[in-house]
Amino acid sequence: MAGQQPPENPPEDDSPPPPNLNGGYVAISYLIGGMVVWGGIGWLVDRWLGTEGIALAIGVVVGGAAGVYLIARRLGA
Amino acid sequence: MVTGQTTVLAVDVPFPPSVEDFYLPSIVPWGEHGVWFTKITLLLWLSVAILIIFFLVAYRKPKLVPDKKQWLAESIYGFVRNNIAVDMIGKEGVKFAPYLASLFCFIFVMNLWGIIPFAQISPNSHIAFPMILAVISWVMFIYLGFSRHGIKYIKMALVPPAPWFILPILVPIEFFSNFIVRPFSLAVRLFANMFAGHMLLLVFTLGGFAMINANALLAPISLLSWLMTIALTFLDFAIIALQAYVFTVLTASYIQGSLAEGH
Repeated sequence: MAGQQPPENPPEDDSPPPPNLNGGYVAISYLIGGMVVWGGIGWLVDRWLGTEGIALAIGVVVGGAAGVYLIARRLGA
Repeated sequence: MVTGQTTVLAVDVPFPPSVEDFYLPSIVPWGEHGVWFTKITLLLWLSVAILIIFFLVAYRKPKLVPDKKQWLAESIYGFVRNNIAVDMIGKEGVKFAPYLASLFCFIFVMNLWGIIPFAQISPNSHIAFPMILAVISWVMFIYLGFSRHGIKYIKMALVPPAPWFILPILVPIEFFSNFIVRPFSLAVRLFANMFAGHMLLLVFTLGGFAMINANALLAPISLLSWLMTIALTFLDFAIIALQAYVFTVLTASYIQGSLAEGH
């Protein structure tokens, strides 16, 4: 059963193709990921230098921007 | 006296429900305080047994004109194979259809226990089960990536098409989003939906009892609360099917990403 080949033509019944779920989740994970990764690195820099959150703030902004850039490159036209 | 009665009844119906309600007692007569065989364990093995027996029976004597069982089994497998595996992964997807179909059926049956009378809790509302399923998907797409592309898979997965001077900023994000967020979000999405579904049903069922116990005049609202429970059970069924589908589709899409030719 597993070795049976699928029909050559896509089925023309009422079955819609799966929605591009992944696109949305990828966008969210890049955006959150960017802020978490660089915010986290900024937080570590803060702890190391004894500053009070300036590196964290820069990290979150840079990470957010990089996340938006990645979304545009990976998902954009 | 009224207060005393209320207290007694309130003890009978603990409200509000808490996380403790998910940790069920042992159901074997020995080992009263053990956790080795609870309702969760029983439902897990029942799910596995039901699936194995159902598919074995449905395919025992396959006919050209299928009977009901065979039709159902073929519809499920055909749906996962054609509408998830092949549509997401392409021609190669057929290879993964058996795993994806098993995954879909397993998650669906495990979730379904959440609204089956007397079971009333889904094993997937304990994060251990979604976590193991997510780890399987995770190991699978990483393994497939390396076996298909060799060491170049690292470059493919981590290095986006971008000028070299911003790559140091982007690569950690790619790593985080592809190898850490993916399994985490797979597991948490399924777990949280099942947890919240069980919690909602508990709140509305026990809330009805809590209100009717507090004041008999609240009885109509209790009734409303129980009607809400019925409505939410239908909503929960939709979520059960949807989460099984989402988990399978995302696993297929991760496999597709690992098999795809470079960007």
